Amino acid sequence: MKNEIVRVITPLPLTEEQKEIIKKHLSRLSPQEGFILQEEIDSSILGGVIIIWEEMLIDCSLKTQLQKIKEKIVKEVT
Amino acid sequence: MIKVDWSIIFQIINFIILVLLLVRFLFKPVVQALENRTQHIEEQISAAEAQKKAAEELRIKLEEEEKKIQEKYLEMVEQANKDAAKLKENIINEAYQEAEKIKKEYEKRAQKEIEKLFSQLREEIVEIVEIAVVKVLNSQITPEIQTQLIDQLLGEAVSQIEAQMELSYEK
Repeated sequence: MKNEIVRVITPLPLTEEQKEIIKKHLSRLSPQEGFILQEEIDSSILGGVIIIWEEMLIDCSLKTQLQKIKEKIVKEVT
Repeated sequence: MIKVDWSIIFQIINFIILVLLLVRFLFKPVVQALENRTQHIEEQISAAEAQKKAAEELRIKLEEEEKKIQEKYLEMVEQANKDAAKLKENIINEAYQEAEKIKKEYEKRAQKEIEKLFSQLREEIVEIVEIAVVKVLNSQITPEIQTQLIDQLLGEAVSQIEAQMELSYEK
């Protein structure tokens, strides 16, 4: 099994449970591969996680979610 | 035998001679003078009548000219009144249009200003809300909530990626 290095950005250090959850979801995309998580802390993302896997960016941060909601509100009221 | 009174005969002869002389040297020139005078008077009368006729024609002509000038004057006055009324109407219309234009321009500016203010207000409200939300999130995010967020958000994102990949394979 090949191990893929994945950058994982979170506002708080990852717990073991969180690491397992991340690996579980990533394995749905590539079941035959294992994952080595390269952790990075960035409190500005507020919550959630940003995953950078090769060319793929999976942005599940609360900062981005909040930004989307903000854009939606501004768009709807204008 | 009839006795002839020669003195009477001479008197008759003298009278006849006198009459002939009178006819020759007095009556003819007088008649001629009278005829000349009559002709001169007739000519003067004719000239006077001609002048009178010319004067009458001139008077009629002048009256017609006066009538034409009067009509022309009235026509010009009427046209001037019409032109003045039209000019007045044009000036009023132009002033009204200008006023409407200025009014619309100000309304447009006011509307833009209001929209700008509302837009700024909305942006400020959104910014304030965002700051408040960030503060709340910073204080409320616990490792348990973070675990739930990762599971939920990452699960949804992966599901979307899977759906996109399936679509790509189908194509």
